[in-house]
Parts: sequence; C-alpha cells; structure tokens
Amino acid sequence: MEDLGIQVLKSVVSGLLMGLVFALVALGLTVIFGVMDIVNFAHGEFLMIGMYTTLLTSPLLGIDPVLTLPLAGLVGAALGVLSYYGLIRFLLRGPMIAQLFGTFGLMLFLRNLALLTMGSEPRILHKGWLVGKSFIVGPGVVLESTKLAAAVLSIVSFALVWWLINRTKVGRALTATSLDAEGARYMGISTQKMNALAWAVGGASVAIAGGLLVNFWPVEPGVGLLFTMIAFATVALGGFGSVRGAFVAGVLIGLIVNIPPIWDAMLRMIDAAGLADLQIHSFKYTMVYAIYFLIMVIKPQGLFGWKQ
Amino acid sequence: MEAVKNAFDFADMPKSELTIAGLGMAFLLLFPVLPHSSFAMATMIQFLMFSLYGMGWNLIGGYGGQVDLGKAQYVGIGAYTTAVMMIRWDVPFWISTPIGLALAVGWSFIIGYPLFRLKGHYFAIATIATSLVLKDLFEVWDFVGGARGLELPLKGDFPNWLYLQFREDYYYFYILLGLFVLGLLVVNGFRHSRLGYQLRAIKDNEDVAKSLGIDAHWSKIKAYALATAYVAVVGSFHACYNFNIEPEDIMSLDLSVLIAMMAMLGGAGSMWGPIIGASILVPMKSYLGDWLGGQAGLAGLDLLLYGGIIMFIAAAQPRGVYGIVEAVRARRRK
Repeated sequence: MEDLGIQVLKSVVSGLLMGLVFALVALGLTVIFGVMDIVNFAHGEFLMIGMYTTLLTSPLLGIDPVLTLPLAGLVGAALGVLSYYGLIRFLLRGPMIAQLFGTFGLMLFLRNLALLTMGSEPRILHKGWLVGKSFIVGPGVVLESTKLAAAVLSIVSFALVWWLINRTKVGRALTATSLDAEGARYMGISTQKMNALAWAVGGASVAIAGGLLVNFWPVEPGVGLLFTMIAFATVALGGFGSVRGAFVAGVLIGLIVNIPPIWDAMLRMIDAAGLADLQIHSFKYTMVYAIYFLIMVIKPQGLFGWKQ
Repeated sequence: MEAVKNAFDFADMPKSELTIAGLGMAFLLLFPVLPHSSFAMATMIQFLMFSLYGMGWNLIGGYGGQVDLGKAQYVGIGAYTTAVMMIRWDVPFWISTPIGLALAVGWSFIIGYPLFRLKGHYFAIATIATSLVLKDLFEVWDFVGGARGLELPLKGDFPNWLYLQFREDYYYFYILLGLFVLGLLVVNGFRHSRLGYQLRAIKDNEDVAKSLGIDAHWSKIKAYALATAYVAVVGSFHACYNFNIEPEDIMSLDLSVLIAMMAMLGGAGSMWGPIIGASILVPMKSYLGDWLGGQAGLAGLDLLLYGGIIMFIAAAQPRGVYGIVEAVRARRRK
C-alpha cells in the first residue's frame, strides 16, 4: 500500500507544478477572450515561439535561460501587437467564422515558419542553472528544479498580470473595455489600444510560459496544438475571460492529467492479466478534451465565468 | 415526391449561374477524356471529395450558421467502418458504406444533442474536442490498427466494382462525380425544404425563429445529421481510394478546419460556395505542395504560403468569393 501512497503523492506534486504552467499558458487566451470575444487558434504557436526564443537567445547572448525570460516576454508581446494590427483588427469586422479561420491561418503560418527556419527535430535546453538539478523531498518524491522554478515563476507572472489588470489605471481601462467596449469608448478609452494591449499581455504571458517550459519539454514546430487545446480546456473550465478561473482551472487540469499514473499504479498492484495492458496513461490528454466537452455542456460559464 | 421535385427545382437561380454550372458540369464530365497528367487527375478527385465534404458542412455551418469544426470524426467513422469490414469480413463497399453512414449519423445524434445546447465559439471549440477525443481513442484501439492505421488488401480482379478497386483513376472520378451530382441535388432539395427554411431562420435570429414555433435545437440536430451523412460516405470512399487510412490523416483537426474552409472561402450558405472554395483551395494546396513541398530545405514553405493566403482571405473578404458575386449583383440592381 505504501507504493500507492507514494504514487499518489508524486502525481499530486507533479500535477500541481505542471498545472501552474498550464495556468500561465491559458492566462493569455482568457485575457484576449475577455476583452474581445475572439478565440486565438495560434495561441500554442505563440508558446512555441517563446520556447524557441529562450532556446536560441540563451547561448547567443551567453546568459542563463532563466534570464532570457523577459526577452521571451517582449518577443511574445511584440508578436501579439503585430498580430492584432496586422490581422485581428481586420477579422473583427467579419463574422465569427472568419475570425476562426484567420487565426487558423496564422497558426499554419507560424508553425511552418518555424519548420522552415528551425527544422523539425525536437530540441531542448541542455544546460543552465536549473537543468539536471533536483531535490529529494520525501521517499521516492523528487522535485525537479526545472519544474519547480517554472511553477514559481508562473505564479510570479500571474501576480504581475493580476496587478496590471486590477491595480493600475490602464488595467481598469482594459476591464472597462471588456465589460462594455462602447461605454468605455465614450469615456475616452480607445478600444483599438485596449485590444492591442490585451494581445500584448496575452502574447507576453504565453511566451514566458514557453520559455519556462523549454527547460523540460522539447520544442518542435508542431508542439503548439496540444497546448492550444489544453488552454481552451483550461479557459472553458475556469470561465471565458476570468483570470482567477484560469489559475484555478490550470492547476485542476494539471492534476487531472497526472491522475492516470495513479490508476496505472493501481492496475499494477492488481496485476490482473490483460488489465495492465490497458495503458490508461495514454489517455491523459483525451481526458482533458472529454472534460472540456462535459464542462461546456453542463456549465458553459465555467467555474468563475462572467461572459456567456 | 415533394422532396424529389424540390431537388430538381432550379427555377430560383439566376440564368448566369445556371449557365456557368452547366459549363462546369460539362467540363467535369469530359475531363477524363481531355489530355491530363495523372497529378491533375488526382487533384480533380481531391477537388470532388472536398466539394462533397464542404457541401455537407455547408448544410449546418452555412445555412444554419453553426460553425462545426469536428467533421473529421465522421470521415473517420465512415472510412474505418468500410476498411474494418473489408479487412475482417470481406464486406463489399456498397454494403459497408451504408452501415458506416448509419453509425456516423447515429453518433452525430448522440453528441449533437448536448452539442447544440452551445452557441458560437463555445459550440465551435466543443466540436473540436469531441473530434479529438474520438481520434485519440482510435489511436490506441488495436481493433482498428491503432496509430498506424489500416492497410486495405488488394482484392485483384480489376476493375473490381464490388470493393471499389481500380487500376485507372477515371473509375474513381466518375463514381465521385455521381456522388457529387447526387449531393448537389440533395442540397438543392434541402434549400427548398421545411428544414432548410427553418435553419436559415435560426441563423438570422434564433429567438425570433423560436417564437415562430420552430424547435431550433431539434432542427439543428437534423441538419447536423444530414451534413454528417455526406462526410461519412466520402470517408468510406476515401478508404477505398487511398488503400491506407490512419487517424492522424483522416481525423485530425486540420482536416476538420479544411472542410469548413471550403465553404467559408467560397461563400458559406450559398449552394455554389463549397464548390467554388474547393476549386480554389484544393488545386492551390496540391500544386503548392508539388512545387515547393518536395524541395530540400524548403519544408513548410508551401503550408506557410497557404496559411498566409488563408489569413489574407479571412481578413480581406470574410464573406467568401460568392460574397463578392452577391455584392456586385446588389450594386447592379440599384
């Protein structure tokens, strides 16, 4: 029975850490959605670009990968603003379907731009302050410093965005626009600028998540789709447009993804012939999609949603 | 009988459109006789398949305004039913396809019921999720070959009409052309049908439609099932034509979006929209891939351009090519 206890503890710990990163990935999507009701298919590709930024600039500038995070954030913000003024601005005039396809085109464009310039082989950071170090917390429970740092820094990023939205003047203007764009415009708040700001914040936070992720998750041009879908699921669970919701839901999804190893451990204990071959852990992302579907049907506004 | 009469009733179409459609049909009929490369033939077959996918999608996505991005799951159900039945029990195409169709439509009712409680983005993303769940399941299900997919055995005895195996592509072409004409007639019938009017009313204003006594939820489910039927049949055909199916190919999000894009680019909610869209997008993708895809060091450039073009179209002309036609016509009327 001790084995199972350790398994559970391990799963919960790694689920929490992973969940915090998922939350940061979803944060950008929920901010953008909250302000302008648009779903960004290219969200995972922003993450991919953040991953490449850290991977490439760290040896180039000769600094540790952790220090390149602000740069990744800048690149993400620039990309977000560029996408807004170059594409999204025009899509907003069309029907919803044009918006979906426009961002889908952006996704194809960015993914294949990466394929063209970076090649298709998966890459990962091999050195740095964090890589390869770990703490032993308890019997059998090992904390990898890469994941721990990713979790902590994602809390920091979250706090920064929360502060920006709730404690600054420009953040209040952003909230005003998402509540009532027309009303905000009468008060002299430029909708265009606020939309661009939302894309900047969204792009920056997801690119930073990418910079954290590349410490322990290999990057390749197609890495984005899985994270786009996880971010959709996270945002749906937390409620479209809710920052607090993205945080709680990200952690929940991290835990959900890491529950299947517990079942595997139980199956191994039962050791029933045939049952152990089921390989439930290969369903972990399927579960995320399934849960997304169930939430949407049962409670479309999510846990903390206010847009419906 | 009413339905059959409706299907052949083209009276409300402008003469110019019917003339162009007639010329196009004549071209399609004669195409295998005209000199062409085998690559052009393969592209034409893709064009017909995607026109049919798009026509199906258009019923719910275009006329009904419900952006469905999960059609690939039904391509998968159709293709896998035909492939599995042929490999395991030697069932001919003509028997397995209706079974695949029935399975797909049955499944569409099961997930359509909860799906259509959602609207807008929520609906669109939920359809993606259902499709991906099914794809993931197929990837680990050994009965259908898992992630590696299935390879259809050669039955010999060409031309084999029973299992739809031919040496020459023009057999496939004419079978598809038959389906294409049938598909067009069904869309035309749908336009004039009660369900067709109900859906357009729902698209314009769902609350008003409901207040007029239309059961919006049920109408959408019915149109969704009809759209599914198109996709499942072409899926079955795809299995026989390709000899090889795998989940990544036929159940991916990319395929779902591509299907919807045919109609969107051509003009969603118009009868010719998906065909116009397919006649632009399919050759473009196929020739871009042929031109750039094979060159060393340029992997991805074809899809990069493709993505760029899609972005441009979505930004510049969100109502599709047919939208331009309608705008021109409206201006002339003034």
